[in-house]
Amino acid sequence: MRKLIIILSIISAVLAVILSVLPVSNLAFIPAILAFILGLVGFYLSNKQEKPKHTVKLAFLLTIIALSISTYKSIFSTSEVGNTEQLEQTEQKSEEEAIEELEGLDLEELDLEELDLEEIDVEELEIEGIDI
Amino acid sequence: MRYLLLMLSVTFCSLSFSQNTAVSMNETLKFTAAYNMSGIMTDLAEVTMETSPVKTSKATLLRLKCTATTYSKWDNFFKIRDLYESYVSPKSLTPFLYKRDINEGGYYKFMQYTFSHKTNTVKSLKKKRRGNGTIWEENKNITIGSSTNDIVTTIYKMRNLNLAQATKGKKFSLTVIFDNEEYKISVVYLGTETISTGIGSKSCYKLGISVNNSSVLKGSNDNLLWLTADANKIPVYAKFKIAVGNGELKIKSASGLKN
Repeated sequence: MRKLIIILSIISAVLAVILSVLPVSNLAFIPAILAFILGLVGFYLSNKQEKPKHTVKLAFLLTIIALSISTYKSIFSTSEVGNTEQLEQTEQKSEEEAIEELEGLDLEELDLEELDLEEIDVEELEIEGIDI
Repeated sequence: MRYLLLMLSVTFCSLSFSQNTAVSMNETLKFTAAYNMSGIMTDLAEVTMETSPVKTSKATLLRLKCTATTYSKWDNFFKIRDLYESYVSPKSLTPFLYKRDINEGGYYKFMQYTFSHKTNTVKSLKKKRRGNGTIWEENKNITIGSSTNDIVTTIYKMRNLNLAQATKGKKFSLTVIFDNEEYKISVVYLGTETISTGIGSKSCYKLGISVNNSSVLKGSNDNLLWLTADANKIPVYAKFKIAVGNGELKIKSASGLKN
């Protein structure tokens, strides 16, 4: 029982350390807390059975490392956008190509819409005039 | 005479409804996209929605541009650099050209739709990268409905829905063309709500969005959008549920607003 708990605690602690160095450092809190609780149980059992506590101490150490890395990351690292130079170039190029494409298009529909509106405006005005 | 006046006012009202009253020519909205990982929301990418005027020799059009960029910490794992654009009429937001250029962790796809509203057709051009790095093209002509828009225009058109007079439960139907297929989107007005956002506490219109003939968005009331309850109707918060989890979109900053 003691051995199993200590092994599980070590596994959780290692997992927490791995997660804490990845971008998903927020997720490291879950295994870190688990490792801590298992570590405490392991420590209590070792104390009771008067067995060595080195492995439990290692689990605690790893947990502390994982927790400090994730806490540091969650407080100090701000979400920043990486290199967008290529995207900006694509945007620029895309706009130039789009203008070329639009020049070739028949934009009559656009003109028609505007015309329609103007006509309706005039009609509305006339009718208002008659009413008065 | 009265009948004629009524008819005219109805026509005029419906016309003013389809007019753009919410989107300015130089607007920038920035969002943070977060994804739910085992119950913890993790900031994933920055989404920008920008508008700018584009001049051609015949007319001035409005360029609607949406970009998605992953935060630098993710770039080594899954780099996203997406660009969605639409060139529309500034008055009615009628699309003429739509472009989509997506780069997602090595996957590349390009789509272009050229709209012809007279014939209700779309000329589609698709480019994709093969496994060996070469790019293949596909050209298609697709017949669409008269009120079908591309995805970017649809998002902006949602901001021009007449929500001020809508009653709770009112449904709006929009048709969107995506990946060469038409989808019907239902937007349900769910009332007003005051929420705290990155640009202060705002009174908002709450909308429920569902796609009728697709399984992209899951659930019927799990995809929600909050638009500010003013003339600008800025999208400030969105919650979505997709096949592989759920996420949210929160506004960070807004500038160059129309009203």
